[in-house]
Amino acid sequence: MIPAERKPDHIAQLVWPGQRSELVTLAATGKSGGAGEIFSIEGRPEFVAKIYHATTSQAVLAKYRHKIQWMVEHKPALPEIPAEYQDIVQLAWPEALILRRSRFVGFAMRKITFDRTLELDYLLNRRQAAQEGFDADYGKLLTVCFNLASVINCLHERRIAIVDLKPMNVKVHKAELYVSILDCDGFHIDTEEFRHDAPQVTPEYLAPEFQDKAVTHPEAQDSFALATIIFRLLNYGIHPFTGVASDHNTYPLELAGRIKQGLYPYGKVAHESVRKVPASVHEAFPDDLRQLFDRAFAAPGYSRPSVREWVDVLSIYASKRSGQISPCEKGHLRFSDRPCPTCLREALIKGAEVRRRSFVARMQAAPARTLKYVRRTLRQTHSSPFQAALAQAQLFTFRQLAPPAPITTRNAIALEILWISGLLIGLWWAR
Amino acid sequence: MSPLTASILWALLLLIAWRWRPPQAATLSAWVLIIAFGALGACALWFDYFVHPEPQAFTFWKPTVVYWTLTAIMSIVPPLGGGYPAKIILGNYFALSNREWRWINRGFALLCAVLGGVNLVAASEASYKDWEGFKFSCMVLLLTIVLFRLNFVWLPILAEVSIHLYRRATAAYRYLSRLFSS
Repeated sequence: MIPAERKPDHIAQLVWPGQRSELVTLAATGKSGGAGEIFSIEGRPEFVAKIYHATTSQAVLAKYRHKIQWMVEHKPALPEIPAEYQDIVQLAWPEALILRRSRFVGFAMRKITFDRTLELDYLLNRRQAAQEGFDADYGKLLTVCFNLASVINCLHERRIAIVDLKPMNVKVHKAELYVSILDCDGFHIDTEEFRHDAPQVTPEYLAPEFQDKAVTHPEAQDSFALATIIFRLLNYGIHPFTGVASDHNTYPLELAGRIKQGLYPYGKVAHESVRKVPASVHEAFPDDLRQLFDRAFAAPGYSRPSVREWVDVLSIYASKRSGQISPCEKGHLRFSDRPCPTCLREALIKGAEVRRRSFVARMQAAPARTLKYVRRTLRQTHSSPFQAALAQAQLFTFRQLAPPAPITTRNAIALEILWISGLLIGLWWAR
Repeated sequence: MSPLTASILWALLLLIAWRWRPPQAATLSAWVLIIAFGALGACALWFDYFVHPEPQAFTFWKPTVVYWTLTAIMSIVPPLGGGYPAKIILGNYFALSNREWRWINRGFALLCAVLGGVNLVAASEASYKDWEGFKFSCMVLLLTIVLFRLNFVWLPILAEVSIHLYRRATAAYRYLSRLFSS
């Protein structure tokens, strides 16, 4: 019997650029996505294979092959990284076709070491990031933003766009702060010799002009998604279209609806119908960043800042030498000459916590207070100043009698059962 | 729900009421009302179970019987020093003096007397439809009393029961949380 990992299905042919090929054995990793499954390649530990699901139709596979073939032969130049970090994979770009019995089944790409990385999603929540071993501060976050923008900019220069850009598709190297972009086979390519669309989108990161429509300007879509990711990274995960509406009836429940209607409450000019989330620290951002955000979210699509502009602005903040990031009194990194967003956030959270505790205390005391009130009502022993005044003044025909002997709730229920019985009997006779 | 099931449920509720009865001695007004309505209730059950169809004369007299019974109770009991039955019927949530209750009792007795008389006139002189209309308009009076009772007595009781249940549920939740966390 052939062991599972040595089955003929696991023997595949790698076809490298220049048509150089080799036979390899694939081993399942147990990881799979919407389009395919990830295998390790024996003898090639620095690579992994993505094999499309067996249910993928031949027509679709043919399209994939065409695209992957082009991608293998046209790997884009990426931002340079120091020699000691050469093992960092910034892009899970297809590097070889994988054939099985001469039929295209997938592609090989460089392996991203998941132990050294964490999903960008985790950086949106500082506590989660800390649990993953990443102590987030504004210096690191701005560097991550810059590195992400740089990679996307390199792609745009080759007329390649990500389109479905979202934190889940981006890995961050915890120590080096470089990013790795996954799912490259879904990119949009529009070169002179080759064109391939990217139909996959995520509504929460989709520009307003493409909501419910096809993405006709992929670079503009990437700019919007990048701005959204940067805003969320710098603003403790708050999405730029999360807000507090003055009119809840017309406020869309889903972010996609709010993006479509342009309900962005964090602009330099306040929005008429949506207020910012109280925990937002966007006011601690420098003017140039705020202007970029305003252009990305509150202005028409054509004035949205390009990825190149983001790279230019972020490069200033990501560089230690620029002096644009400095520590506050408490040692948090902040934008120079601006309030410290970390201190601001802590103050907001502390205030919210004090209010929450006060609310909880009130809620906990509420039953006892209500019980007291109800008992007084049942026993007619209210001692409010109004009633006391009534009793003393004898102005009206209403006055307080001597308090009757206290009765319990059970006694009151017993009396009411008798009363209702009498009522029902009375109704039978009166009808 | 069959009449038998309804009767059993009712008996159960009365049993609960007996078990939870207030410790104070009942006034004469209360006793007279309990006895009178007990008799009327027993009579109602008798007719529901054993007399089909009801004699027409009885149907005409029914509202008058209950109104005049109330008139009789409210007229006879106060002079005997048994308190004011109106206080029990309306509910003593308003802190009124005995003098005020006396006049309310008298007014209520008079109203019931008039309603009982008008019922007889309507039953014998007016059309069946008009008589039915009269009976339902009288029930609006009962509805008003029910609304007062609902607002001043039932809602506070409901609030107290809810708070009691809430506390029990909270205590149970804490107990279960401790049980599962340990």
